[in-house]
Amino acid sequence: MSGLTPDAIMLGLGELVKLLPIAFALIVVIELFTWFLCAKIIRTKFTLAYVMLAPGIVGVMALIVFPFFYNMFLAFSNMSMTKFLTFSASLQIGLQNLIDVFTVPVLQRTNIGTLIIRTIIWTFVNVFFHVTLGMFLGILLNRPLKLKNVYKSLLILPWAVPEVITSLTWRNEFHYQYGFVNIILKSIGLEPIMWFQDPFWAMISCIFVNIWLGVPFMMVITLGGLQSIPQDYYDVAQIDGAGGWKQFVNITLPLLRPILTPATALGIIWTFNKFNVIYLMYQGGPIEGTHILITAMFSAIFENYRYGFGAMYSLVLFVMLLGISSIYYKIAGGFKEVSE
Amino acid sequence: MKKRLFVWLFICAMALGMMSNVMAAKTINLVMWTQQGDPVLGEIQRLCKEYTKKNPNIRVEVLNYSTEDIRTNFQTAAFAGTGPDLLWTVSDHAGPLSVMKIINPIDKVMPRDYEKRFTDFSLEAVELDGKVWGVPISVGNHLMLLYNKNIIKEAPKDTDEMIKVAKEVTIDKNGDGTPDQYGLLWNFDEPFWLAPWLGGFGGWPLDGRKPTLDTPAMVKTLQFMHDLKFKHKIVPTECNYDGADALFRQGKGAMMINGDWALFGYLDRRTRKTVDLGVDRIPKVSETGKWPSPMTSGQYFMFPSYLTDKERIKAVRGLVYHFESKEVQTYFLKEHKRLPSLKSMLKDPALTNDPIMSGSMRQLEVGRPMPTVPEMRPTWDAMRPEMQAVMAGKITPAQAAKNMQKAAEQGIREMNK
Repeated sequence: MSGLTPDAIMLGLGELVKLLPIAFALIVVIELFTWFLCAKIIRTKFTLAYVMLAPGIVGVMALIVFPFFYNMFLAFSNMSMTKFLTFSASLQIGLQNLIDVFTVPVLQRTNIGTLIIRTIIWTFVNVFFHVTLGMFLGILLNRPLKLKNVYKSLLILPWAVPEVITSLTWRNEFHYQYGFVNIILKSIGLEPIMWFQDPFWAMISCIFVNIWLGVPFMMVITLGGLQSIPQDYYDVAQIDGAGGWKQFVNITLPLLRPILTPATALGIIWTFNKFNVIYLMYQGGPIEGTHILITAMFSAIFENYRYGFGAMYSLVLFVMLLGISSIYYKIAGGFKEVSE
Repeated sequence: MKKRLFVWLFICAMALGMMSNVMAAKTINLVMWTQQGDPVLGEIQRLCKEYTKKNPNIRVEVLNYSTEDIRTNFQTAAFAGTGPDLLWTVSDHAGPLSVMKIINPIDKVMPRDYEKRFTDFSLEAVELDGKVWGVPISVGNHLMLLYNKNIIKEAPKDTDEMIKVAKEVTIDKNGDGTPDQYGLLWNFDEPFWLAPWLGGFGGWPLDGRKPTLDTPAMVKTLQFMHDLKFKHKIVPTECNYDGADALFRQGKGAMMINGDWALFGYLDRRTRKTVDLGVDRIPKVSETGKWPSPMTSGQYFMFPSYLTDKERIKAVRGLVYHFESKEVQTYFLKEHKRLPSLKSMLKDPALTNDPIMSGSMRQLEVGRPMPTVPEMRPTWDAMRPEMQAVMAGKITPAQAAKNMQKAAEQGIREMNK
């Protein structure tokens, strides 16, 4: 922490004080311009609403919309290490980048086909366990239980601990000789596993850690959903002679759907793009065996300077995610109201 | 009334913003990015403060990033034509940053012939296309043999002796089938640790800008590394950097191959209880009679190409002079075990009388500068998975060498597109 000296803090605060009037002036200018545009030129009755929204819209444009379109522009460019400041862009270059994404190895020995299959397996297995285990724990916690809040707090803990710490801690626990996973395996008479050298087992350990990290979120979401289902439905079902399973299938699941569908869609997107766990545990190794699409993209862009290629690759990823999410929504009927 | 308030507030804000800019113009605020973390970062900040005391109109802000972040963040900043005034980073960044044209050769900032005061091997690591792209701060960053004198009295002279000694001290104390003390530790996840042996077997990853990986020397190197694990069983089954480091600190390793950056950490009071550190060259390869040649590089000042303002250049130059003084280099040598880059310090008693540092220096003498060319990056990336596959017993050394060559050629082709 020697970096955070009183001098450094004062310098930081000084910069902040200098920046504040500039930021304030910028907001005032945006507000005045919006007011002038809406009240004097367009003459709309929603002037106040637009004035309130304007700084937020400008922020979103600057931080999300502009980078997105700039990335699209780069996808049609030949920007690379040798053409870093002198790159050019054209439709032809973009098409070549697109062809390269599907024909040239993204990493040294792994092409996009392998990465897609691995990412789909990674996403499916993770989300499946997130949802099933999360729902299971949510249902357990929704019952009358002694010390319920203590269990709830303990189960939420993995979510509360930063991913970096969780990943690095688990990484040590998979050590061949001193990690407790192998110690347990040995104590029950099984052979210890070379987690750091065998790509298959390395991937299994990454999936395990990510399940550990993702279950609490789904548990909290499910618990929230369960608490909003009136008890009357279950009472009536019981009078009609419905057992536990029937109640779950006919009451709990349909009523959880409006909550679980967007949560699962989010889970798919997050897991598909999960970078931290894989990179912190094995940096995509061993033998490139734990790389998924997103970590391979990072490697191509930031380690191998393939900016144009990387931008097109990220665009392909975006289209894939958009497609998967849309299909999922359609199948799960997430846009439907409960009453439909 | 409300309208007037709005207008006045706006005018005040603008005036404040302009005033602060005018006030800021009187002093020069330099920004330096460094990849040095604690405890060196604190020393750098202290030295910058000293510089400000001597030059009250110049303030220096030091920001710390990891080695990879400093490169990627600088690329992004330089692309926008802004960023730090000075970089303190490692030599292997000189290649890509100079090809991208976002750093300048040192003669754009420093006086003519300024480089003559530095050792040749410190300059070789940042020479590209006949130009010098960094001012050396310290040299080294090289691997060497560290040994625990509590376990072995002296370093072995060649690899045959190393294997023999290592076998004797690889001991399973509790009889569970897994050794509790190892003869040799090193990180076999990273090809940086392969380079010294490759040199010892007469090979090198690059010839100019061409990868030379599918060679008999590479096959022999990989076979040698494979045998240390599977035939001689003197290294742990799995061993990455952290694992090797932890075992050595706990006194569970007789020898370890590690870099000069780690020396300081093995001399603290806690580690001294288990480790009595000795430093020497990595043993000569018995088969070839050659010394293994670790890659050498070091810490360098680099100058962004957008640094064109004369006043700022003058301030940056002054800061470099301040850090490159003999006093500062002696301080870093004594307190942080950094080998100096100044020629005038090679015979300094502070260096020659220190057994750890003189051992490090002996290793440096047989090292080879890490290739500065950007082709080194895809070559590393090509070597890594294949080396890991050999160490996992999944492919033969010959197949791995062939795969490396193919992947490196492909990677270089893609990079230069």
